[in-house]
Amino acid sequence: MFRTGSRRRHDTGPAAEALRLVKVTKTYGSDDSAVTALDGVTLGLARGTFTAVMGPSGSGKSTLLQCAAGLDRPDHGIVVVDGTELTGGTEAELTKFRRGRVGFVFQQYNLLDTLTVAQNTVLPLRLAGRRVDRGRAREILTQVGLGDRLGHRPDQLSGGQRQRVAIARALVCEPRVIFADEPTGALDTRSARTVLRLLQEAVRVHGRTVVMVTHDPVAASYADSVLFLADGRLAGRLHAPTADAVAERLAHLGDDVTAGV
Amino acid sequence: MFTLALRSIRQRPGRFLATLLSAFLGAAIIMTFNSMHDTAAGSGVDSVSSNTLTTAASVVGGYGSLLVFFAVASTLTVNVRQRAAELELLRCSGATPAQLKRMVVGEALAVALVGAALAIGPAMLGGRALLDLFQDSGQVAESVDYSFGPIALLTGVDITLVAAVGAAFLAVRRATRGQRRRARARTFLAYATLATGTLAVCSTFLMKATDEALMAPPAYGAILLSVGFALLAPRLLKGLLDRLALSGASGWLAVRNLRERAGELAGILMSLILFTAVATTTLTVQAVESDEVAASGLVKSVDAKNLETLNFTVVGIIVVFVCVMLVNSLYAATTYRSREFGQQRLAGATPGQVLGMVGAEGLVLTVAGVFFGTVAALAGIVPFTVVRSDAVLPGQAVGIWLAVVSVAAAVTVGTGLATARKVLRTPATEAVTLAA
Repeated sequence: MFRTGSRRRHDTGPAAEALRLVKVTKTYGSDDSAVTALDGVTLGLARGTFTAVMGPSGSGKSTLLQCAAGLDRPDHGIVVVDGTELTGGTEAELTKFRRGRVGFVFQQYNLLDTLTVAQNTVLPLRLAGRRVDRGRAREILTQVGLGDRLGHRPDQLSGGQRQRVAIARALVCEPRVIFADEPTGALDTRSARTVLRLLQEAVRVHGRTVVMVTHDPVAASYADSVLFLADGRLAGRLHAPTADAVAERLAHLGDDVTAGV
Repeated sequence: MFTLALRSIRQRPGRFLATLLSAFLGAAIIMTFNSMHDTAAGSGVDSVSSNTLTTAASVVGGYGSLLVFFAVASTLTVNVRQRAAELELLRCSGATPAQLKRMVVGEALAVALVGAALAIGPAMLGGRALLDLFQDSGQVAESVDYSFGPIALLTGVDITLVAAVGAAFLAVRRATRGQRRRARARTFLAYATLATGTLAVCSTFLMKATDEALMAPPAYGAILLSVGFALLAPRLLKGLLDRLALSGASGWLAVRNLRERAGELAGILMSLILFTAVATTTLTVQAVESDEVAASGLVKSVDAKNLETLNFTVVGIIVVFVCVMLVNSLYAATTYRSREFGQQRLAGATPGQVLGMVGAEGLVLTVAGVFFGTVAALAGIVPFTVVRSDAVLPGQAVGIWLAVVSVAAAVTVGTGLATARKVLRTPATEAVTLAA
């Protein structure tokens, strides 16, 4: 199903470009009620970068993330993750494509309540039929500050702790790209800071590529660069962002779009 | 609160379908058999006919009431558990526990009334068919006229309503209060039932092969034993799971899920154990008895024929009921897991792996239920066969057992898989954001 390297083992060298989208379009609904969520988005993200995607509600942030992560299929355009193109296929094929290439961190954590912290962390490995290295899992959980909570259940943890488990789960598979969808949306500022530092570490220390959708300028300021999205189109890019610069840019995002029309 | 109850039924009729169905089936069965009381009370009914009709009504009526209670209770418990969020919301909006109780009980009352009312027509037809059956086999005189009277109507409506209200009351109390304190009572009850069941089964040996009531102790003993096992079901399931290691990610998840949800799955396991034990025992014991009568060259007496008809009817009722309960509780429990399935898919599970997990869970449940059901059934069958026919295990038992087990496995695994397939049609990203 995948045009290049579908048989390629996960541990071969990563491509220079972690993620590439070419003219990606996605429309929801049909005919009169059709809403274009993504309108010909083209972008490329280098390996080992931390990128935030920002934009007002309904700008297509989440759709962009879902299409780029192989959770949804774009109507048109090309998605390339780690040098391999994502093409059509069934849900099972998409799942297999994501394994080892893509990791997730969601606003609602999405940990399984029936499993312990340690079991949740190694679940993706088990599902992918890969060797479960418990020592490695413990190491990563210790890095995120949860080395003493291995046997706890998610409902015994605070929101910040749950999100750290989710990050550990994303890291343990050693994916090329980690997609984070509003990872700090449900957290207090202190927990949010810890989570954002961990995402930064994933890039700096572990060499992962992180793409984070957020509406919070402070969260975005932890990234190397910020991509702005408005009405399903790219509306600018900001390198080495500060929270103020991001907020300023966001406030005038509407102006740019009207000017462009 | 009653207005709220009615409104919530009107807004979400589908949610009450399962309760309505079990109330309807229950009321229909009770009315059908209790109309035999009415028929027997009619003028010009001879004593043999009257006897047959009354026995049928009493035996099946009693069974039916128990089953109605079980079925309505299981559907309502599932219903209340799934509405934990809604009930919590109401509590936050200022509803007192008593008001919540009144709302849930009110809903159950309304649904049970509708169910009972709908059951009247089918019960009349069913009763007429049943009388025809008795008349065709010569157990009841041809001259007896069918009558659907006050006994059928009153008992049908009353038992259904009492069962629904009682079950709703228990379900909402469990939901609002927790059930830790009842664990000990449950354990005591379980052991008492097991002890009584063992006594009943052993008492078979004190009887003679030709005793008319020889079937009673093993049959009731097996039922009591299966009820005892059913009460211990959560603990038995946990014990089994601790010794079980399934390979593959699906199996691994299945074992962990079952262990966590052992308490909730007790209802399903209970149905499976009862179903296996009652169906296998009754059918096998009846088959042995018929063979022995045929071998001795005697013609069956009216009483023996009555017993046979009753046995088959009872098994039929139990099969239908347990299937409805199993399908309902499995369907509800699996639908409820949409979010969990979504999370698994986002963690990298293919739909096939999720289905594999559901299938493995169903299989483990079936094996556990069938195992304890079979133990209870054997405890009833073996003493009966030894006393009645010198053999230890009748040849018919294997075939009957296989048929019973296939039905149990097909219903359990089939419902789980079919529901999971339907649930998996929702995209994973949507499934995890839907309010559970």
